[in-house]
Amino acid sequence: MNGVRQGWLVARREMRERSRSRAFRVSLVLMVVTVAAALIVPALLRPGSGTRDVGLTSAAPPALAATIGAQAQAAGITARVLRYASLAAGEQATRQGRVDVLVAGAQRLEWPGKADQQLQAVVTGAVQLVTVRERAATAGLRPEAAAALLAPVPVTNVELGHVAGRSPGDETAVMVMTLVLFFGISLFGAMVLTGVLEEKASRVVEVLLARIPARTLLAGKITGIGLLGLAQIGVTALAALIAVAAVPSIHIPAVRGAVLAWAVVWFVLGYALYATVYGALGSLGSRAEDAQAVAGPVMIILPVAYFASFLMIAQPASAAARAISYFPLTAPMAMPGRIAMGGAAWWEPVIAAVLSLATTIGLVLLAGRIYTNAILHGGPRLSLHDAWRSATAPALSDTKAGTRTATTLRHSARATTGGRTTVKRPDPTSHRLLITVLTGVGVALGVAVAVLTSDVIIGVIAGAGFIAITIQMVKLWTGHSRPPVAHR
Amino acid sequence: MLDFDGATKRFGSLTALDRCTFSARPGRLTGFLGPNGAGKTTAMRAVFGLVELDAGTVGWRGRPVGAADRARFGYMPEERGLYPQMRVRDQLVYLGQLCGRGAKDAGRSVDGWLERLGLAGRAGDRLDALSHGNQQRVQLIAALAGEPDLLVLDEPFSGLDPIAMDAMSGLLAELAAGGVTVLFSSHQLDLVEDLCQDVVIIERGRVVLAGELAGLRAKVPQRIVEIRYRGQAPDWSQMAWVTLVEAEDGRARLRVGRDTDPAAVLATVRDRAEVVSFAYQPPTLSELFRQAVAA
Repeated sequence: MNGVRQGWLVARREMRERSRSRAFRVSLVLMVVTVAAALIVPALLRPGSGTRDVGLTSAAPPALAATIGAQAQAAGITARVLRYASLAAGEQATRQGRVDVLVAGAQRLEWPGKADQQLQAVVTGAVQLVTVRERAATAGLRPEAAAALLAPVPVTNVELGHVAGRSPGDETAVMVMTLVLFFGISLFGAMVLTGVLEEKASRVVEVLLARIPARTLLAGKITGIGLLGLAQIGVTALAALIAVAAVPSIHIPAVRGAVLAWAVVWFVLGYALYATVYGALGSLGSRAEDAQAVAGPVMIILPVAYFASFLMIAQPASAAARAISYFPLTAPMAMPGRIAMGGAAWWEPVIAAVLSLATTIGLVLLAGRIYTNAILHGGPRLSLHDAWRSATAPALSDTKAGTRTATTLRHSARATTGGRTTVKRPDPTSHRLLITVLTGVGVALGVAVAVLTSDVIIGVIAGAGFIAITIQMVKLWTGHSRPPVAHR
Repeated sequence: MLDFDGATKRFGSLTALDRCTFSARPGRLTGFLGPNGAGKTTAMRAVFGLVELDAGTVGWRGRPVGAADRARFGYMPEERGLYPQMRVRDQLVYLGQLCGRGAKDAGRSVDGWLERLGLAGRAGDRLDALSHGNQQRVQLIAALAGEPDLLVLDEPFSGLDPIAMDAMSGLLAELAAGGVTVLFSSHQLDLVEDLCQDVVIIERGRVVLAGELAGLRAKVPQRIVEIRYRGQAPDWSQMAWVTLVEAEDGRARLRVGRDTDPAAVLATVRDRAEVVSFAYQPPTLSELFRQAVAA
């Protein structure tokens, strides 16, 4: 029986059971709808798209209809002219919304509500043009000379955005992509965490580990959930491509095959990294309620990484953006944005991907050891330190509390720390000192970052992030947040 | 044949298994006994590599147990547990597949066991929709899903009602008769005495008694005399060669030497009381157990 086949069986079970759940289906639909809507809705709302109906009454000059058509074309919109026999009929059509504007007379436009500025410019321009032509004819100018004089000058409008070659629409699309990556990595990473915890809490893990090695179980689980996530992200990326292709008025150069392919690659890299950590942390708890406590550091790191990536979308070439797009914990969310905004040379994501992959391999080794040591350990939540040092006692059954088994375990739990309890598990005073020191380092780091990037907000984020993460790590490592009864 | 050879496991300063040596033979039921915390669960976990031994080995058919062997082992941990939200048949087939069997093959034997244990109608239900007793049955099938050659069951009888106990006993006996090696732990010594051919008793990680149950009982230098009588109780203390184990109105259990002639005992008692019934036999497993553990 080889490990690959067993791992694949585990992965297949994860995919089958999870794709059956309503939560998964809802999140899939939600993601696709959100992404498609983020691309399509602004395009539909943008004035300039769609045909405008212009109502003309008999009072309007005869040349107006053709002039409106020409003016509209020059402005990049389509105008259709409807004629009404009387002012009353025209006003009624306007009130009912059948026309967007009614030319009530040579000097009067009537709107159903607030005036559409673009259309107003077009119609007003047409009215003035027709009037000026009439005056030119009256003044004796030849029609050809008048036409040459009054030929419309085409004026191009460019939305600059923050980055050359990328529009505000691109920025929105990249924000949505970064959000989807953050959402995907968090969602599927957390699935690994709760999946590991559930297997431990329901005790099925002992049945499984009697048949397959712990590493195979963890690898299969991460693979299965990852493939499911990949399918979801892939479908979402495809939805974005289809939305862009299907709605002709969308013009977003950032949304194209190469960028989305990179986004999918970065999802895989980011998920692999975070899921590995989540898997190891999940094995430390013993009940579903422990999820919050064991996942603490990652639950802070991920949003901080997302937020930093989000801030850097508008300046993809800055030093800070470059830094976070290389740093393995932030790269999965920062690098795709830089690629999409055209801020990264072709080799940059390659190097960042190699860095991220190397980090993941290192984490797999660490996580495998922690998971293997902790997964069969029953009783109170383990500290990372205990799990790392192994020597796990047999899982204890809660039903036997007070019997010799419980005694045995109390012995071995103490034995795990090898009598160096006071050294290894800091007492509250040294614990508080450590936290004070870390807070100081965090403040210094924040100030340094603020000075270096000359941006106070980034400095505050870096400092606060450092403090929050390191304190969580200390708690997890020492198991300090455990209730005191646990090691009594 | 499953062989523990000098198996030793320490958890820090605590020795959970101390040079454990014993065997479980194919086609026989071996009862694995010991007080709580004696090391039974640790020993059973060692068979599956769930506990890494510090010294000694666990062997199967003459070689140290390997991954390929474990595919042919079935295990029911003391802490019962399966996926609560997974359908019964799906998860049993999955566990069978993890033992290296094909989906169809595993499906066939799972269907057979579900039928056999009266769960065929529940195959498509989620596990947590089943009653406690039925969940126990599913747990047993989980151990059997790989059609194992060795079955290791940690407290298989705990939490069963008397009828379920009979069914479990019958099933284990049948499996053993089919050539499977069965090792199970239990605190129900009467049941073990009725069911098992072999016993292993451990205490503080050490094997204190192991072997064929009938032989072990015969080898003990004491015999137990059980007498029921009418009328006044005789003064047992006057009989120097008997030890009173317990006495109540009209009944007494005495311990005598193995060489004592039962007829002489009966004759002596009849002089002092009206004997209704008289039994002379080797000590029960419970008595063996108490002696072994107390020693």
